[in-house]
Amino acid sequence: MKKVININFQGTIVPIEESSYELLQQYIESLRRYFANEEGRDEIINDIESRISELFQERLKSGSTCITDDDVNLIIKNMGRPEDFEEAEKGENESEKNKTDDYSKKGENFFHDWSGKGKRLYRDENNKILGGVCSGIAAYFGIDPVIVRILFLVSGIGILAYIILWMFVPGSNMLENGVRKRLYRNPDRKIIGGVCSGIGSYFDVNPWLPRIIFLIPFISFFFRWGHFGPLTFPNFLSFSFSPGSFIIYIILWLVIPEASTTSEKLEMKGEKVDLNSIKNSVLKEMKDVGIRVGKMGQDVGEKVGKMGAEAGNFAKEKGADFGKEVHSAAYRSSGVLGNIITTIFKIFMYFILGCIALAIIIALFSIAIVAIGLFPLKNFVLTDGWQTVFAWGTLIFFIAVPVIGIITFIIRRFARVKSSNKLMRYSFIGLWVLGIVCFVSLITSVGRDFRSISSLSEQQIPLSNPTVKSLEVMPFQNLNYRRIGWFNLEPFGTFGSSEDTAFIGNVRIKIVKSPTDSFQLSIIKMSNGRSRRFADTLVSLINFNAQQNDSLLMLDRAITVNTTDKFRNQYVEVTIAVPVGHYIKLDKSFGYGNRVRYRVFTQDPDWYYNNDNTKDYDYHYDIQYIMKQDGLYTLDGERSDWRDDDDWNNNSTDFNNQATPGTNDNSGGYRYDKNNKIDSLKNIQDTQIRKMQAAVDSMKAAREKEMNRLKDSLNKAKEEINQKIEKLNKGTALRQNNCEQKIPDNYTFIMYI
Amino acid sequence: MNIDNTASQMRKGVLEFCILSIIKLGEAYPSDIIDMMKSANLNILEGTLYPLLTRLKNAEFLTYRWVESNSGPPRKYFSLTEKGAKFYEELEATWLELAGAVETITGKNK
Repeated sequence: MKKVININFQGTIVPIEESSYELLQQYIESLRRYFANEEGRDEIINDIESRISELFQERLKSGSTCITDDDVNLIIKNMGRPEDFEEAEKGENESEKNKTDDYSKKGENFFHDWSGKGKRLYRDENNKILGGVCSGIAAYFGIDPVIVRILFLVSGIGILAYIILWMFVPGSNMLENGVRKRLYRNPDRKIIGGVCSGIGSYFDVNPWLPRIIFLIPFISFFFRWGHFGPLTFPNFLSFSFSPGSFIIYIILWLVIPEASTTSEKLEMKGEKVDLNSIKNSVLKEMKDVGIRVGKMGQDVGEKVGKMGAEAGNFAKEKGADFGKEVHSAAYRSSGVLGNIITTIFKIFMYFILGCIALAIIIALFSIAIVAIGLFPLKNFVLTDGWQTVFAWGTLIFFIAVPVIGIITFIIRRFARVKSSNKLMRYSFIGLWVLGIVCFVSLITSVGRDFRSISSLSEQQIPLSNPTVKSLEVMPFQNLNYRRIGWFNLEPFGTFGSSEDTAFIGNVRIKIVKSPTDSFQLSIIKMSNGRSRRFADTLVSLINFNAQQNDSLLMLDRAITVNTTDKFRNQYVEVTIAVPVGHYIKLDKSFGYGNRVRYRVFTQDPDWYYNNDNTKDYDYHYDIQYIMKQDGLYTLDGERSDWRDDDDWNNNSTDFNNQATPGTNDNSGGYRYDKNNKIDSLKNIQDTQIRKMQAAVDSMKAAREKEMNRLKDSLNKAKEEINQKIEKLNKGTALRQNNCEQKIPDNYTFIMYI
Repeated sequence: MNIDNTASQMRKGVLEFCILSIIKLGEAYPSDIIDMMKSANLNILEGTLYPLLTRLKNAEFLTYRWVESNSGPPRKYFSLTEKGAKFYEELEATWLELAGAVETITGKNK
């Protein structure tokens, strides 16, 4: 009793026994594989299928109710199995080989035979989750599909690669993954989900090793050396670990099945996947190579007439056996050895080329990402018309085309799809050349827009209260600046609500010493442009606000640029002149992306206006500074350096001596005596106590002195006041003009002294 | 040295020539070609014929047209192209030369 199914075979309905159907399918699959490297593969298969279909119809017309195993077997016998073809074609190959004495070419055949036979990349349709790509790759490399799936999931470009592989790799439902060991979660030794213990038993290591690897990011998070400390991980590691470890664990938990049955547990522990087994499989592979080499040797041997069947040391035996044809035998064997060397060399070359290709792909990908990140800003830089066209052309042809091209090429190599499709290659190259043209045009065109520089315009901004004692510089708070998401392009920031306005942090604040005794504020606006006049227009369009409120100086943090005027490296330099003895402090929100400036305009001497007398100082944000006669100091007395000063060392050597001048008088008393030998703990204690006492004494003395001084000054003041009162009494007695107002003035004046 | 191997090599060499000469007689369907060759006592597997025909077609020696068939899917009928005819003539010349030479040599030996 057999089940009969109806199949649509080459456009006709064929009733066929299920077992026969499978037989037929296997046969066609084997043909497909045999003709895999043939140019007209599909056509050949199609022709054969048509013929089989025709034979089926004949069979059905002759009265059979359905197609049976016998029918299929008969047809297969008539058509011939791939093995039979091989038999028949062997002679042809042989004769071809005899025709040519080019041994390197033979080596190429040998290489293809070796790597190509039986091993081709297919999508595994039996064990597929989505498209069977991962399980196909796993079967190709003989590893657990779960691992490949995880790698695809974790890596960023995995999805794209998956789709491309899905498109290009043929499917097969006859794949068998020979791996005997699989990755499972181990429920017996689990702590959370059994992921680590499962990984441990897969790689045959202690489960604590993966556990620790998973824990490292958490530890590093607590100790804060994950990102900047001396034990910094390489960036990509901390990227993948620190936020990812938890997520990766969850993914693994979801992806890896749990070993619940005994057979699964056995599979989990299965054959060791360690260095040894890798070595074994490599050795086996090498043995296969040896056998193939041996086979070639045999063929050669048959030609000549004598050849032992031994594979490994055939060259030696051949040398011994061929008394008469020593010459030709030696020639041939050296050729074979040469082939092996070429093969090994080729493997290395492929490896190196692979690395290079990978690097190029990664570079292109990052360029693509940067370009895509920049693209929202194109309206602020590019003019309409040709520049936009060039920008699109660059993005598509210069960046996207080679990325797709290289990926496709590699996958085709991987999948061993052979095609001499020159049209495709040339069109790829053609499109890329077009991309280069676009790129160059874009660069030159944009470059032309930046070519000229505006003429210099310095502008003094009058301050409402220039004699204020200290000045704190703050940004206007009415704008919420934020960076563009993850993409860190410094000079740009976007303003949340408007899409046609960008904010450029091209503002530089300089602090100089004021020649007068009042604060001064000057603003220099600069810009690039297509021409000087154009640049000057742009400069006049720069809207930069400054406003003083008592001790607060409000400045714009950025320059606005809109899509009509475009970004042409507009730049504002704010110079704050601080008079001697006055304080200045810059809010830290200025320190954010404001130092960036494209130095594309340095060619014009106008930019170096004469500022010899107004050297500006380096400063930190959020720290108050005081301007002294010889420079800018923090309140702790630390001197800041000249900006752009070459020999800053000279300036910074002597500030220690100037520090804390107020305590100089009393510091001598408790100085530690270097001649006093300390030889016991008691001594140390004693000296310590003595020192403390001395310190206390000196403090007492200082206090007394201070008190005396205060008393003195108070007495003095008292005397003065008494004198004043006397004078005043006299004055009121005489009823002269009032001069009361002056008295408190004088009083404070005295107190200051 | 294997006698089968040598024999199959000899057959192989003339296979294309035979196929082309059958097609030269007129439009031919693959199974017709097989039948004719069988009747001439030259057995080949059908499975080897299809790739051979496809290769010849891709080399532009052959062309085909579809003919509706009352038993199954439409059939491909092959015919020679001009290029194929030229190729056939060259092959024929070579064959005659070779056959003559072989004849002479083997005849002498007898």
